[in-house]
Amino acid sequence: MPRFEHAYVLDVMSDDHPGIVAAVSNAVESLGGNIDSCSQTVLGGYFTLIMIVSLPEPLDPEQLADRVRKSESLGGEYQVMARPALSVKHCPAELCDRFVITAFGKDQPGIVRRFSQYLAGKDINIVDLYGDRKGEEFVLIGQLEVPTRWDIRMLQADLEQMGEELGFTVKLQHENIFVATNQLRLTGALPH
Amino acid sequence: MLRTDEILSTIEMLHAEHLDVRAVTLALNVDDCAAPGVDHVCRKLRNKITTRASRLVEICDRVGAKYGIPVVNKRLAVSPVSTLLAGHGHGAALGVAKTLDAAAKDCGVDFVGGFTALVHKGIAPGDAVVMKSLPDVLSQTERVCSSINVASHKAGINMDAVRQMGQVILDIAEATRQRQGFGCAKLVVFANIPEDNPFMAGAYMGAGEPEATANIGVSGPGVVGNALRRRLALGEKLTLGELAEEIKITSFRVTRVGELIGREVAAELGVAFGIVDLSLAPTPTVGDSIGEILKTLGIERVGAPGSTAAVALLNDAVKKGGLFASSSVGGLSGAFIPVSEDAALAEAVGRGDLVLEKLEAMTSVCSVGLDMVAIPGDTPAETIAALIADEMAIGVVNNKTTAARLIPVPGAKAGDVVNFGGLFGSTPVIEVRNAGSSAAFVRHGGRIPAPLQSLGN
Repeated sequence: MPRFEHAYVLDVMSDDHPGIVAAVSNAVESLGGNIDSCSQTVLGGYFTLIMIVSLPEPLDPEQLADRVRKSESLGGEYQVMARPALSVKHCPAELCDRFVITAFGKDQPGIVRRFSQYLAGKDINIVDLYGDRKGEEFVLIGQLEVPTRWDIRMLQADLEQMGEELGFTVKLQHENIFVATNQLRLTGALPH
Repeated sequence: MLRTDEILSTIEMLHAEHLDVRAVTLALNVDDCAAPGVDHVCRKLRNKITTRASRLVEICDRVGAKYGIPVVNKRLAVSPVSTLLAGHGHGAALGVAKTLDAAAKDCGVDFVGGFTALVHKGIAPGDAVVMKSLPDVLSQTERVCSSINVASHKAGINMDAVRQMGQVILDIAEATRQRQGFGCAKLVVFANIPEDNPFMAGAYMGAGEPEATANIGVSGPGVVGNALRRRLALGEKLTLGELAEEIKITSFRVTRVGELIGREVAAELGVAFGIVDLSLAPTPTVGDSIGEILKTLGIERVGAPGSTAAVALLNDAVKKGGLFASSSVGGLSGAFIPVSEDAALAEAVGRGDLVLEKLEAMTSVCSVGLDMVAIPGDTPAETIAALIADEMAIGVVNNKTTAARLIPVPGAKAGDVVNFGGLFGSTPVIEVRNAGSSAAFVRHGGRIPAPLQSLGN
C-alpha cells in the first residue's frame, strides 16, 4: 500500500556502478516522495531498478523521470521511465500451484521463445525468469504459476519432448522440493 | 521467492548425483486377519492388503513425478505373521506366505516384510511355526521377507533361538542352492528390531503402531560422497569436524526430501505418516557407496585402521543432520554397510582389505550389522550362530539395533564370487576364520542375560 495517494512506477536502467540507488532516492526525496517498494537486478554488467514511489501531490510522470535523470550524482549512461501505478496485482484467474522449470543445453536462438510460448499457451504465468549463457551452454530457470487443471505429468512430457528436440534437459518440478532442500521453513503454507 | 543458486544446487543433487527416495513402505497391521481356518486367514489377508495398498505404486509414481524425484522401491510390511500362525502349523505358514507373495504381486510391489517372529526372550508356538517354515517359505516365494528378533537390550540374547537360526540359515541356503543361497538375503536376524523400519528385508510393523502408516527410507551415499568431494576439491585444508559438518548439511537436505514425499504419499493413501529413516543405503551402482565415502574421507583401502572411526563420523553426522530436518525420524537411521550391495565394500573384501572381524567392528558404530555377507557354504551351523551371537552382543550392550544377514553360499569357498543380481549385487565370499571353534559355547543354549546397562529405570 503506497504511503501517499499518488503512486508511480519508476524504472531505471544503467551500466552498473556505485551510487545509482542513492541518486534515485535523492531525487524521490527532493519531491517529498516515499519509496514504497523496490527491486534491483544486475545482469551482464547492467543495472536495472524498478520502484513504486508515492508522492503527496500529483505530478506528471515525465517530470518525475526528468528529476531522476537530472539527479547530480547519477552520472553515466542511463534510461529512466515513469508511469502512474494503478493498484493492479496479478491474480491468477484460477487456482494455481507453484512449479519451477529448469532447462539446460547447448545454446541456440529461440530457446526462451519456444518454452515461453508453450507456457503461455497453457495459461502458465512466469513469475521469475533467469537465463545465462556459460560457454556454449545455456541454463534457463523459470518460477511458474501452473493452473491446477493441468496434469503435471502431461506438461512434463510435453516439455521433455520439446527439450529433446532442442537437445535440452528439461525438468518441471513443484517448488516445494527446492524449499525443502534449501530453506528453513515449512513447505506447507508458502508466503509469496 | 527461491534463489537461482538454491534451484541449481537442488537440481545438481537430484539429477547429477541421483538423489532418490529409496523406499516408501506401507505398513499394515494384519492382526484382524486372524481366523480359525487357514483359508479364511488367507482370504482376509489378501483382501486387506490389496484394498489398502492397490494405489501405493501409482501414488508414489505420481508424487515422485511432481517433485522430480523417483521413489525407487514401493514396499509392504505387515505385523508379525507369528500372531496369525499361533495355533496353526507348517502348511498354514506356507499358505500365509504364498498369500503375502500374491498380494504383493497384485499391488505391484517387489517385497513384503513381516514374516516375522519376536523371540528375544522365548519362542511362542506361532514363532516356532514361522522359524521352522523359513526354508520352504523363502525358497517357494519371491517377495516375502522375514525377520527374527533374537535379542534385546532388556531381555538379553536368546541363544536357543540364535542356535536354531544358525541351522535355519543353512537350510534356507540349501533350499535355494540353485540361486547361490539367495533365500538367505530375504532374512534378517535382529537385536532390538525397530518397529518402523522401511528397509527390506527387515521391514515389519511393530507393536504400538497405528493400523496403517507410510514409512520412508531416504538414502543418498552418492550425494554425500559428491558433497564431500566438492568441498575437498576447493583445495582448502579441512578438518574432520568440517567434513562432518558437510555430511550433516547434506543429510539435512536429503531428509527434508524424504519427509516432503512421505507426508504427501501418506495423505493420498489416507494413512498416517510414520517416520523418515535416515539411512545411507548403498546400491551396487558405482559411486552410490559407503565404501567410496570412506575413501573420500581418506581411508585408502576400506578395512584399514581408521575405517571404524570414519564410519562412526559418517553415521553420527547423518543422524544429526537428519534429526534437525524431521521430527519423525525412526527406523534404522544410520549408514548401512551391506557388503554385496556396495561395490567398494565388495571390492575391499575381494582384495582382502576388509575381513569379517573388521566388518564386525565397523558395525558397532553404524547400522545395521553383518549385512549381505556371503560366507563359505560349509560353515557349520554353530559357527553361523556364533557370528549372529557376536553381532547381537554389540546391539544388546550398546542399546542399538544390530542384525545379521549372512548367506552361506552352497558349494562356495572363501574368495569365490557370487552374484545375487539387481540391488542385491555381487560379492566375493568372505573367509570365516576359526570356523567350528565356538560350537561348545553355542550348544550351552539358554539366554545370555540382559546387560547391566539395561537396568536404567
